[in-house]
Amino acid sequence: MSEVRQVEHVHLSPNQRAWRRFKSNRIAAVSGALLIALVLIVMAGPILSRPTIRNYVPAALAQSPLALSDLQFGAPSGEHWLGTDVHGRDLLSRVLYGARISLLVGIVGAGVSLVIGVLWGALAGYLAGRWDSIMMRIVDILYTVPSIIFVILLISAWEAVLKDQMARAFSAEMVARARLIFLFVGLGAVSWLTMARIVRGEVLSLRTRNFIDASRALGASHARILFRHILPNVSGVIIVYLTLTVPSIVLHESFLSYLGLGIQPPQASLGSLIAEGAAQINPIRVYWWMIIPPCGFLAATLLALNFVGDGLRDAFDARLESR
Amino acid sequence: MSVFKLRRQAGRLSYKVAFVAILVLTFTACVQKEPPADLVIINGPEPESLDPALTTGQADGRIILSLFEGLTRYKADTALPEPGLAERWDISEDGRTYIFYLRTNAVWSAGEPIAAEDVVYSWRRILDPAIACEYSSLLFYIKNGEEFAIGKIKDPSLLGLRALDAQTVQVNLNNPTPFFLDICAYPTLCIVPRHAINKSGDRWLTAYPVPSSGAYELETWRLNDKIRVRKNPRYWDAANTRSSVVDLLPCLSASTALNLYETGQADIVWDKELAPTELIDILKKRPDFHGFDYLGTYFFRFNVTRKPFDDVRVRKALAMAIDKERIVGKITRAGEKVAHSLVPPGLPDYASPPGLEYDPAEARRLLAEAGFPGGNNFPLFHYLYNNTGRNHEQIAVELQEMWRRELGIHMELRKLEWKVYFRAQNMLDYDLCRSSWIGDYNDASTFLDVFLSNNGNNRTGWKNTQYDSLLRRANAQRDVAERAKLLQAAEKLLVRDEAPIVPVYIYAGFEYYDTNKIEGVFSNMRSEHPLRTIRKK
Repeated sequence: MSEVRQVEHVHLSPNQRAWRRFKSNRIAAVSGALLIALVLIVMAGPILSRPTIRNYVPAALAQSPLALSDLQFGAPSGEHWLGTDVHGRDLLSRVLYGARISLLVGIVGAGVSLVIGVLWGALAGYLAGRWDSIMMRIVDILYTVPSIIFVILLISAWEAVLKDQMARAFSAEMVARARLIFLFVGLGAVSWLTMARIVRGEVLSLRTRNFIDASRALGASHARILFRHILPNVSGVIIVYLTLTVPSIVLHESFLSYLGLGIQPPQASLGSLIAEGAAQINPIRVYWWMIIPPCGFLAATLLALNFVGDGLRDAFDARLESR
Repeated sequence: MSVFKLRRQAGRLSYKVAFVAILVLTFTACVQKEPPADLVIINGPEPESLDPALTTGQADGRIILSLFEGLTRYKADTALPEPGLAERWDISEDGRTYIFYLRTNAVWSAGEPIAAEDVVYSWRRILDPAIACEYSSLLFYIKNGEEFAIGKIKDPSLLGLRALDAQTVQVNLNNPTPFFLDICAYPTLCIVPRHAINKSGDRWLTAYPVPSSGAYELETWRLNDKIRVRKNPRYWDAANTRSSVVDLLPCLSASTALNLYETGQADIVWDKELAPTELIDILKKRPDFHGFDYLGTYFFRFNVTRKPFDDVRVRKALAMAIDKERIVGKITRAGEKVAHSLVPPGLPDYASPPGLEYDPAEARRLLAEAGFPGGNNFPLFHYLYNNTGRNHEQIAVELQEMWRRELGIHMELRKLEWKVYFRAQNMLDYDLCRSSWIGDYNDASTFLDVFLSNNGNNRTGWKNTQYDSLLRRANAQRDVAERAKLLQAAEKLLVRDEAPIVPVYIYAGFEYYDTNKIEGVFSNMRSEHPLRTIRKK
């Protein structure tokens, strides 16, 4: 058996081999499929409520997440599959809407952390020596800052100032999205540290390899060496840590919104929906449909993202190849 | 090798650190374990301050009244005034001169006697422009009180307030004020320890022990944890103080309050914001939930110094686009009545004039007339509310959606912590802001006086000389029917013609305590429950 596999490996690129390993990891593959399904469901929300399409789908799928109605605390029914909240708003559409915002913050935040982390880490690793020390000590110092408190401070300190600026420069609706942008930037800005460390370690070992010396000898510029030769070789690691950053940012965002610092009503994210549901937990009567769906959605998303991240890490890990 | 050794050392070190940490934790746990209180009350938001001159919140006032006492105090059952630090008083024929005789056995908890000079000091302090007491208007009834508070008169000896001897205080009023004895019991007018304030300045409440004149002494105040008060053995009426240690917990969420109550960790919940509205249909039927008519109005303020709310048409448009029936029927649900005017029904000799009713078509017309047809070009604005309970947020979401749907205008919500929320109001740093007012005495002027130009509680930037003069004439008027007419004209100006505020509903009071376990709490319109009479059976 092992002989056959080794023969196969000769014909496959490292990425193809990784993909093959990933597929054979059942939990990761199932999680990946689940994740894709969740993302599709979440993205379907606004499409289904479009006037041209809404006539062809069940009415329950085309509810607006913001429209008030007279049906208060309605239990799940044919019209509202996940029931309604205190304002009579449809919870299915609100959970999807909240999940969309949570995932958006997660992905964009991870993107911000990707850009900062990779650039910082690659630069530190490539420059090496004294610059490396300085840049990594800065990372160490930032590690000591409690990240959530930092984001809270960032949001509360700059929001008022920048909102006025934005109201003048853009339209009023733009300001309503200001907080989202703050969340993107704030959460991304505290999540790049691990990424920078990992990329720096990889780059540090790559920069002394022969093919780098070769391209340097051929007169390639530093930028070319960094972007054409080094970064493509760390892409596997970057992808792995990106998938692990997304759930941590989603969780941070939910935490902030749970505390009432993230998304402001009437917008919703999974965290604020959970907070609304948690307020209904008491010894007398529990509206279970307000708490279970958002919690379930958050748990499923976070688990799936973590499993996918783990699966990818195993798949890209060269040391596991011989197993 | 050396790395290995280092690691081993580190290992040993961390054991030691862990051991010490565990020891420290155990001991601190021992130290912090306090004996349980005799009575635990959930009081509402964390107090802004416990200085009588600096607070306006009702929750703060209830704690203050247990620590400090005025010349009169509230009767436990009806909340009407009865002799407090003053044993008796004489009122002159014309009703303008009061002479209060202090008790000879009234002493501070540290032992010094409470003298007439203390009364004069405490009340002057309220009127002192440097203190900027928002409730100073309670003493505008005193001769030259208003002039002194706004700095027109600098000499305090011109005030109608004098110590005749160590035990006697004379008060001269501008007009006969039938509710003046009510006012004397109000938290703001409590007598404060002059010597402690002179010694410690602004920080006198953190310099333990704080001398108290009331039934209790302040034992601990831990922010957002609890306030513990202990019986003051030197209080003149200490024999009738029923519980010796009482905890007053700050609590912002109705569901937390209910959970604490249901699990037996709190005995009384008495804040108006802490009724879990989603459960009111069930709770109403239980014997330990007590509903009562409440002398309070929920409303919101416009900041009339900001565009576009300086335009009365915009204010009226926003007021008329609110479906208040939906708010009381769907959100508050405790049997509140829709309010179109500020003064709640149930006050003697007064009925409010009609205010602005729900009329979305007229609202759209007014908004168009003000230059924003269909909400076009209407600037984004903020609605400020505090984080007590969930009602404020839910009402805010309803308003937001109603205005978006009816008028096409966009509002952002801003949730703030109690103290920050108050500061923002005082500095007029808001567009719209949720508010409520609880009557301080049984007269319509307790509501209407708030919006006088010089009243510290006005907080809208709205100044109207016609309104001021109507109220001034009303306060000088002795004929009840004539007085009511003047007050009505003033209120019409406030809620119909000028609309710097928009009333939303009249509170329905809701408190919970089990009468089988607790005695000494009585329902009354003011929702005032002196701590001294409450006891666990």
